[in-house]
Amino acid sequence: MIRIGIDVGGTNTDAVLMNGSSVLAATKTHTTEDVTSGIVSALRQLREAASFEPGDVAAVMIGTTHFINALVEGKNLTPTAAIRFGLPATRALPPMVDWPSRLVDVLGGHSYLCHGGHEYDGRQISPFDEREFREVLDKVADAGARSIALSSVFSPINAEFELRAAQIVESEYPELSVSLSHEIGRMGLLGRENATIINAALRDLADHVTSGLSRTVADAGISAPVYLSQNDGTLMDIDYARRYPVATFASGPTNSMRGAAFLSGEQDCAVVDVGGTTTDVGILQSGFPREASTDVAVAGVQTNFRMPDVLSIGIGGGSLIRSLDGRVEVGPGSVGYALTERALLFGGDTLTATDVAAAAGLIRLGEQDRVAGLDPAMVRAALESIATRTAETVDRMRTSAEPVPVVVVGGGGFLVPDNLAGASAVLRPEHGSVANAIGAAIAQVGGEVDRVFSVDPGSRDLVLDAARQEATDRAIAAGARPDSVSIVDIEEVPLAYLPGNATRIRVKAVGNLALGGNNA
Amino acid sequence: MERYLGVDDVSALASGAGLLGSGGGGDVAVGARLLRHALQDGGRARLVAAEDLPPETVVVHVGLAGAPDVVAERPPGGEDFANAVTALAGALRQRVGAIGVIEIGGLNALIPLVAAQVLGLPVVDGDLMGRAFPRISQTTLAAAGHPATPMAVVGPAADSVIIESASVDAADRIMRANVAALGGAAAVALYPCRADTLAALGLPGSVSGCIALGQALADSAGRSVSDLAARLGGELLCEGRVDEIRPRRGDIPGSLTVTDRSAGHILRLDMLDEYLNVAVDGVSRASAPDVLAVLDPVTFAPVPPDRLRSGQSIALLRLPLMPGWPHGAEELIGLAAFGIDSGRPEATR
Repeated sequence: MIRIGIDVGGTNTDAVLMNGSSVLAATKTHTTEDVTSGIVSALRQLREAASFEPGDVAAVMIGTTHFINALVEGKNLTPTAAIRFGLPATRALPPMVDWPSRLVDVLGGHSYLCHGGHEYDGRQISPFDEREFREVLDKVADAGARSIALSSVFSPINAEFELRAAQIVESEYPELSVSLSHEIGRMGLLGRENATIINAALRDLADHVTSGLSRTVADAGISAPVYLSQNDGTLMDIDYARRYPVATFASGPTNSMRGAAFLSGEQDCAVVDVGGTTTDVGILQSGFPREASTDVAVAGVQTNFRMPDVLSIGIGGGSLIRSLDGRVEVGPGSVGYALTERALLFGGDTLTATDVAAAAGLIRLGEQDRVAGLDPAMVRAALESIATRTAETVDRMRTSAEPVPVVVVGGGGFLVPDNLAGASAVLRPEHGSVANAIGAAIAQVGGEVDRVFSVDPGSRDLVLDAARQEATDRAIAAGARPDSVSIVDIEEVPLAYLPGNATRIRVKAVGNLALGGNNA
Repeated sequence: MERYLGVDDVSALASGAGLLGSGGGGDVAVGARLLRHALQDGGRARLVAAEDLPPETVVVHVGLAGAPDVVAERPPGGEDFANAVTALAGALRQRVGAIGVIEIGGLNALIPLVAAQVLGLPVVDGDLMGRAFPRISQTTLAAAGHPATPMAVVGPAADSVIIESASVDAADRIMRANVAALGGAAAVALYPCRADTLAALGLPGSVSGCIALGQALADSAGRSVSDLAARLGGELLCEGRVDEIRPRRGDIPGSLTVTDRSAGHILRLDMLDEYLNVAVDGVSRASAPDVLAVLDPVTFAPVPPDRLRSGQSIALLRLPLMPGWPHGAEELIGLAAFGIDSGRPEATR
């Protein structure tokens, strides 16, 4: 069963061709402004590296940072209106409150409050005021908004306001696209609403990019379905991605970690990704990245996405090495992409971590003579400092006192010693430099439930079973083979200070993709 | 003594309040957001010592009561708190001259400043708890026999309830029933008192003290947690990894087991909505009313009990309660008040 994984990063587009669990070919090309021509050349290079019949490809999985970059740069965003149901509550903090003014301006600044929403126990805050909503809708349509983000207080418990409003938009202004907060985020109004507004603002771009991707893959003669990677390391089909582009935001680090795990065969391990400027350390548990416990701001907007828990330190292949009062300092300054011009090894005048590693014989690169004269004590001190700080970071991240396997990927991986403190083994898998693309290629599909349930005495098992079933159904609806679905995570948190046994339950199910293609 | 707080002071107040929450007290971010809005465009909050107010000035304490999850989903507004003060002033038939802070730990450290901005009143530099406590009876005023009533409970639609007169424990129960009926979170105005009463019985200077803690936290960025503990005037009890979490079940406390990174000690931390008691290798080491702050060892962000995960690295600090509680208040604010038997004949603090 052949599949293609592609990672479109800010700089490079990596692609791999995989048959089952073996990597048949791996390529790296530059990312292009339009995304698709980079993919065209990646696909061409793959065919040059390993001949395959396009018809044999069962699926194409793509991870991309394109949408998050569009938000960060404020480019190609759709004029968007945010409408919230919650009055008379929540009026003090209207939609897009605290957003960077630059972004609010780009979106057109359409922020409205309507009556409605629910309480935690399912009562309405106020009834749906259809006339009020229609007036707001006419106003935003006249003002040129082309995409609408609808949010309602406690919509994860009861979504009727968002659904009813969406129906009205659909019948009155079918050309406007609608994003609903209960389909996008979890509990926590502002974070969920912000994610919904971001999603709405990316809808035109998502239309453009997803049809471009489908066309590019089809033009290469591949008739297999195209999937995009989501934040949690699972896949969504291209039509889903067109409607929920915000779900791709954290796919980069997630794919990299899952790829590293796959290549090394470790399901529970630390992943150390050494780049040019930073080293990112993450933890895999049962093959999935551990999620960060704090909320994450993206482009200055507070969201409540679940992002992988990654700790970064300022050590990479391009890190500057300085001697101060007999102490050797590594980073956080770096020559970054200019390594091949500024490092001593390449004729430059800047001492970098890569130079030190070459002097110690860890790699052979460039003009070795140029680093032969470095003070051995300084070289040793620099490498020891790198090893100590990397080990400390892994130690902070790992989840038990026992040593853990450490999988090292990335271009600067030679900086991590084999005898890293706290590591039961240091693994350097082949193809580690394209771990992102491999992470995309091996991804599964998932389904999640995250809601408040009323758990009456004696009904806990019934409620949990219902939540499990719902997550499983969602995974199957997303394209999982029913016999392969399993529950990977259950979380149960009683809501504090409230009567009525309100409990927030989150269940995640994951399964293997039901694949097409000739050899599926 | 008086000082003015601007929008630049909000972060320090919020992070100090996060520490003094001892794990509880709600999410300070909501309060910080509301206060930043109240102080935008150059607004200033006047902070004044109780003893510097005319003695007969009526001070009303303001806060938010309810579930953090409701607050996160249905955030309150400054008007709600102003409405609570106005409702209570109506019941008192008196003009309110200043706003008081009931709880300097957590969200309620910030809410009174929001209310005061809406109403154009000064805020007393002090509070009644010295940290976060879960019940309105756990105040220095209650310890001195001062009633919490009359009090006002006001919802987001300005629905308001006046509790004319009740013992402090009954007032707590009546308040909770009304908060639930108002959707799980509501503005409260309570403990009306004269400025001279507050000067005698309140915990003076705790708002300034909280800001100083927050500033020390910010100044310690990039340093070690033992450095941080020293700067905060506290004690680092442990830096290590969470081995096991037993969540609370209703009123039955949960616990957390942590292995110290360097010394290898096993710590057990008992918790309800707050962190309450620490035992090191089975011997009780620190407990309520001392503040027990669980922090991320790198970012120093406080980690509340519902955000703990097994395997997580944490630092545990003991901070002293803000000074001024009378002797003999142990029964009201010590472990026994949380339903925990410390297992030792007397406090070892």
